[in-house]
Amino acid sequence: MSKRTHSHGIALGSMLATVMLLASCGGGDKNSPGVEYMPDMYRGPAVEAYVDYGQDPYTRSEELAVSQRERPSARQPVAGTIPFSSDPAKAGFNMPYPYPNTVEGYEAAGVSLKDPIAMTEANVEKGKVIFMKFCQACHGERGLGDGPVVNNGNYPAPPAYDGAQLKDLPEGKIFHSITYGKNIAMGAHASQLNKEERWLVTRYVQFLQNGGKMERGPVAAVAPAGN
Amino acid sequence: MPLLARITERSPGLVHAILALFLLFGTTALQAQPADAALYASGEKIFKGNCGACHKPDVKLVGPALKGIKAKWEGKGDIYAWVKNSQVYLKTGNPMATAIWEEYKPTPMTPIALSNEEIDAALYYVDNYAPAVTAKKEVVVEPVAANDNNWLWLVIVALLFLVVGLSLAGVKRDLRNSVLEAEGKAPVPDLPRMQRISNWVGDHKVIVGLGSLFLTVWLMMLAWDAAWVIGVYGGDEVPHYKPEQPILFNHTLHAGKVDQGNLAINCQYCHSGAEKSKHAGIPSANVCMNCHKAVDTGRNTGKTEIAKIYAATGWDPGKMAFTGKEQPIRWIKVHNLPDLAFFSHAQHIAVGKMECQECHGPIDVQMDVAEQWSPLTMGWCIQCHAQKEVKMAGNGYYDEVMARLNGDENLGHAELKKYLEDGKITVKELGGWECSKCHY
Repeated sequence: MSKRTHSHGIALGSMLATVMLLASCGGGDKNSPGVEYMPDMYRGPAVEAYVDYGQDPYTRSEELAVSQRERPSARQPVAGTIPFSSDPAKAGFNMPYPYPNTVEGYEAAGVSLKDPIAMTEANVEKGKVIFMKFCQACHGERGLGDGPVVNNGNYPAPPAYDGAQLKDLPEGKIFHSITYGKNIAMGAHASQLNKEERWLVTRYVQFLQNGGKMERGPVAAVAPAGN
Repeated sequence: MPLLARITERSPGLVHAILALFLLFGTTALQAQPADAALYASGEKIFKGNCGACHKPDVKLVGPALKGIKAKWEGKGDIYAWVKNSQVYLKTGNPMATAIWEEYKPTPMTPIALSNEEIDAALYYVDNYAPAVTAKKEVVVEPVAANDNNWLWLVIVALLFLVVGLSLAGVKRDLRNSVLEAEGKAPVPDLPRMQRISNWVGDHKVIVGLGSLFLTVWLMMLAWDAAWVIGVYGGDEVPHYKPEQPILFNHTLHAGKVDQGNLAINCQYCHSGAEKSKHAGIPSANVCMNCHKAVDTGRNTGKTEIAKIYAATGWDPGKMAFTGKEQPIRWIKVHNLPDLAFFSHAQHIAVGKMECQECHGPIDVQMDVAEQWSPLTMGWCIQCHAQKEVKMAGNGYYDEVMARLNGDENLGHAELKKYLEDGKITVKELGGWECSKCHY
């Protein structure tokens, strides 16, 4: 009887090994996007954003692959075009920014560029939402230059908005700095924020310049720049 | 004699082997069950339906890990009020609540309409939660299974088993023949191998029958499970798709928590399309350069990885100027939604006011390399659409439909009343389950 048991054990052992062999079929390679069920419906004929058509498994056709291989899928808008807005009140924001990224441009913006968005609590609040996403990491919640990137990342600290250096910075210069960046430490944010958003942020920065008060009071809205 | 007892008596080895198989491949069936299985099951349902998008029992997700949370609250505050509406309870100034809020703000927990009993059930589930021990994990602990040679090793092991089995059978036969010879009896005739095997099968019909049945059923279960995860590369069932990227970008370092020494940059700083566009966007290298003009040495990787951004953007760190020689970075897209389904980030972020982590997982706390966290299956989509309460305030998106529902005293009000039976208006109720919302 015991002999028999052994042979059963061996037979079952072999079976077990076979089963394990089959079970390993599902092993995942973290670098593989894997098999697709009905690829025809997975990949439309239109070119999709962020898909590298020169790379497996996205190659739809050799022709497309070759044409796409060395071209970035994220592209600049065609030169000379501007965005369209169906809202006439906001159309002015789509006009080109006339001040060049030079010291003269910076100064000129400081003199003649005015915020088309009213200094109201609602707009300051909207500006704050954008500020918290795009500026707070360095400038800190209160604009004191104490954001986490500065504190934890040993990043050059920007001056406080309500400090001597920036307290009286005109709105045109604030907008200009957001658009083109300032020094090495502050990059250009024009690709992340459209003009309306930059002006809203400008209003929140002014709010912080005043030490968190609506000191200058609501000002009348004027036509957007370049309109 | 009952069949099972007969099998046991005849071949205890078989029973052991079957037990071993179960231990190896059995899943939840053999897990330690909690004392009150019914409460556990109902708690699981409540937890997964209401809490699971942001909480896990054992690990921190959007909110804290919940195992043992009830004991922690014992005597320190009203956990029921806290779960039902954390923002209201916070105003009572309870120190426990305040501490949790300070750690996890600014994302408030969605108020949840559950009864005390339901909360108790969910917490019972959480306290007794044990991670599922699955077959896959058992196979993975085999020392041979960890590398690309899995197949080769398993084939070798299987062949080894076969050779040992056949040799032992031969040895056994020889021994038996010797015994028979010693006893002066005629030896067992030396039959061809196939004949011997078929004789063995004929002698052990029950074992072979049960074995084949078990194997067949088990393989069918495997195939069934496998069919469900074709094209699924996230979620709990499968290893997450986590491709190596051309640059070792570390999400945790850039977007992680401040108190862990990370930079806590908002997700949308880089993925600025999320609120405006269908795509959250892979940031173009100029966004990297917003900071990396000033940072040329990484905390973990030194200069090698950041030098790749410089090469892509044509930045000369010595001269602090762009050379104009650009080479796009070939990032690998991680979340591949099939073309047959429409998905818009803007709708979910700007209108739905969702947090990135609700779908992308704890990318800011435990994901050095981005991976596909959620399954992205249709079931996963519509489950959320059926449960998620629509956040009406302040986005303007639902004003029209609400005005029409409120304006129609007969049909509209009846509809609204139906929607509000569970105390909330879900995405599904406002058309989130219409086929053409996503498929067109």
